[in-house]
Amino acid sequence: MSITSVTFILFLLVTVILYYLIPGKYRWLVLLASSMFFYMMSGISNGIYILITALSTFGSAIFMQKITDSQKRYFKENKESLTREDKAIIKKKNTSKRKTLLILTLILNFGILCVFKYSHFALEQFNNAISLFGAQPIEDTMKFIIPLGISFYTFQSMGYLADVYWNKIPAEKNFLKLLLFVSFFPQITQGPISSFEQLGKELFEEHKFTYKNYSWGIQRMMWGFFKKMVIADTLSPWVYDVFENYSQYSGITTLIGAFMYSVLIYADFSGYMDIVCGFCEVLGIKLTENFDRPYFSKSIAEYWRRWHISLGVWFKSYIYYPIAVSGWNKKLGKFSQKKLGKTFGKTVPASVALVVVWLTTGLWHGASMAYVAWGGVNGLFIILSLWLEPVYDKCKSKLKIKESATWFRAFQTIRTFILVTFIKVLPEVGTLSEGFGLWKNIFTSRIIPDSWQTLLPFVDNIYDDKSIRTIGVVIFGTLLIFITSMIQRKQPIRQFLGKFPLIVKIAVFVALFFLIVYFGIPASGNAGGFMYAQF
Amino acid sequence: MEELLEILEEINPDIDYETATALIDDKMLDSFSIVSLVTEISDAFDIEISPKYLIPENFNSVQAMMKMIETIQDEE
Repeated sequence: MSITSVTFILFLLVTVILYYLIPGKYRWLVLLASSMFFYMMSGISNGIYILITALSTFGSAIFMQKITDSQKRYFKENKESLTREDKAIIKKKNTSKRKTLLILTLILNFGILCVFKYSHFALEQFNNAISLFGAQPIEDTMKFIIPLGISFYTFQSMGYLADVYWNKIPAEKNFLKLLLFVSFFPQITQGPISSFEQLGKELFEEHKFTYKNYSWGIQRMMWGFFKKMVIADTLSPWVYDVFENYSQYSGITTLIGAFMYSVLIYADFSGYMDIVCGFCEVLGIKLTENFDRPYFSKSIAEYWRRWHISLGVWFKSYIYYPIAVSGWNKKLGKFSQKKLGKTFGKTVPASVALVVVWLTTGLWHGASMAYVAWGGVNGLFIILSLWLEPVYDKCKSKLKIKESATWFRAFQTIRTFILVTFIKVLPEVGTLSEGFGLWKNIFTSRIIPDSWQTLLPFVDNIYDDKSIRTIGVVIFGTLLIFITSMIQRKQPIRQFLGKFPLIVKIAVFVALFFLIVYFGIPASGNAGGFMYAQF
Repeated sequence: MEELLEILEEINPDIDYETATALIDDKMLDSFSIVSLVTEISDAFDIEISPKYLIPENFNSVQAMMKMIETIQDEE
């Protein structure tokens, strides 16, 4: 069921009506029923995998909790007789049991994810390796239909399990509640990846209908539909035309295509988030935010703290920190400090963790060497900036550059946006060599555009006489995103709009509605679904 | 407390740690600083800081960090 379809809007409407019709404490059951319906619409057979994840996560967490509770009881009942050493032995034994449960469940669930997402990729790499020795490649006959949202719900469930393992939260005792947390339909296809501590509270709390939640939610949804249907879906065929045929285009045309891609992916992904966060707001549920004006970041590291925030938090909590503060890595850090000096040595544990995080992030986004390279390039920039920080500081001090100076901040922001754009397009063209080919074409293409049609050849191919109006809408839409982002620096955009008379607010949303109907609906027919849904 | 302040001063001397209450929320300490901090605190206080303690609330102020250190010491 497409999120920009009339069927989906009707489905949301029925969910909202049912949600507020039944008593507060049972409302989460409506969300569960809607989530199951939404999931089963993608194929009933796929439902088995999400059930395996929910069941294994639920069972494993309950067992872990039982071990913790019985240990607590035992310590309490034998408070007088147990020595510190006795307690340490019991704790060690129980931790080992809990760890076994955790590892087995992680293997099962990440195993399912890997089979679906990485089998073709693994076989391709294996064939490449054996072909070096002259062996015949194995034919790829595997046919998988990847279950909807598997990357998102697996990560969210395993995050919950790790939190129970670390005793951050108690295990959920109601399986249906955990199933809702795993399968909550607004976030199943593209996130956000939430923690149980945050989302669980929102899902199971009783929410009253308020006019403010309703109107703010609808406003946000409309803004999301505008971003997705008017901006992203209009840009999509143009951008992919450039990516697929870049060798026939000039460097400047390819460069424009790359920058348009940055606008497209932001409008697409953040548009989706606005739609689902807005819908949840109507229900009184606050979803984790995934964007914080990322293109205003001053470094690649900051950009990744502001783009797809929930994925970054997941990697930080469950991969980066556990590796960075692990015993062996701390030893490596101390060894490096002795051999390479204190300043550099201190960065080693974080750098090792970052290498793992970025290669995994690359693979999470796609099973191809292009995505691994994309992750690697992101990681490289972040690690280099960590290593070179003392050098930057010396340069800034010698050149008397003030970090807070407006021109310097603008320089950092523009530099980061350009870098991010170049890194982003790398895996989008197809193979890694095609990605590098696109980079090369930007700087070395000998084709010189001598007219508007050769500069922007893709425009006429698609919209003919409508092209000028459509370009106008894209430029207007991009500027609107920029202006709203500037306003958001100081206050939420809906709070800003709230200061205007009712007639202005109505005019804004009527205009948005007509833009969606007039430009968005035809453009949606030419574009595919949401880009992050493929992950 | 003084030992902890010394560690923090070494990581970033430009922050007034005694009054700061939102070191993480206000982005004064980032995840790189946290990793260095955890290594230094583990050595200085002879404790094992597991990833479960690496949440903003435990690092937003010197007081929160001291509380976390005491909790871990009690647990061990």
